[in-house]
Amino acid sequence: MDGFLALLSTYGYAVLVLVLFLGASGVPLPVAVSLIAAGAASARHILQPGLAFTFALSALLLGDTALYLLGRSTGWWLLGILCRLATNPEACILHSAQAFYRRGRITLVLAKFLPGVGVLAPPLAGSMKMGLRQFLSLDLLAVSLYITAYGGVGYLSADLLAAAMRRLHALELGLKGLLILGVIAYLLYRARLFWKQSRLSVPRVEVQELARIIEAAKPRQVPIRDVRSHGYYDPGAVRIKGSRRVEPNNLLASLQDLPRGQVIYLYCT
Amino acid sequence: MMRENGIDAQVITGGLRAWMQAGYAVESVPADDLILLPTFG
Repeated sequence: MDGFLALLSTYGYAVLVLVLFLGASGVPLPVAVSLIAAGAASARHILQPGLAFTFALSALLLGDTALYLLGRSTGWWLLGILCRLATNPEACILHSAQAFYRRGRITLVLAKFLPGVGVLAPPLAGSMKMGLRQFLSLDLLAVSLYITAYGGVGYLSADLLAAAMRRLHALELGLKGLLILGVIAYLLYRARLFWKQSRLSVPRVEVQELARIIEAAKPRQVPIRDVRSHGYYDPGAVRIKGSRRVEPNNLLASLQDLPRGQVIYLYCT
Repeated sequence: MMRENGIDAQVITGGLRAWMQAGYAVESVPADDLILLPTFG
């Protein structure tokens, strides 16, 4: 945060707007920490509180609205992308939409304060066809409360935060070491996953070859299964002719339904 | 998992996108198969 305060005193509102806009648009940036730093900067007269609030409000509103409009125009596709990192993408989409609908529009205000959920809420609102005017009113309330809460913490505890940062400097070397170890451990884990998966290479078929197989097999049906996790949420969704859906996260149950003794062709997006 | 259970599975290279780009037949997902998520509108 000390580094961010230094950036703020050099580049002022531009840094604040950039970080908040990108963070609200889904880029993993520390939005809350930036607001705390902006609050502390205001307490130290590096930034003017009223201007900082206005710029922060505009940046967050713009970022949220961009995601809302993307959700509105792409349907559930964007949510599928955001849920891809979840352990169960199918459940992520289903549960997010149902929870949002059940709890009502006010969820948009509360979601802002929940890490990870705040980024999902605007595109969810768009995908669920919330009206633009209603979205803007609720998001304005959410963003105002959010900035006041975190900015207020920074403003009121500027001296306390400065003392905490000085103590953290002493631990800097240890923290950097931990961070490097963490990155190495993660890279090793990914390398192991890649090596494990490359040993389990799954046979593939080109579309032209499959088309020939389908033609040669007529009038018999060639079993083709659709394993997409989100392709069935929008009216007007299409699939390969003659294919049927298999729930990717419920494969064991779906296995009973699959024909034995012949090749099954699978596809996703 | 499918292969472990004795099912011979192959993956279509490029998926639905490659199939559609090659101009092969697609169909609309039947209404019964659609998973309609809730909407406010």
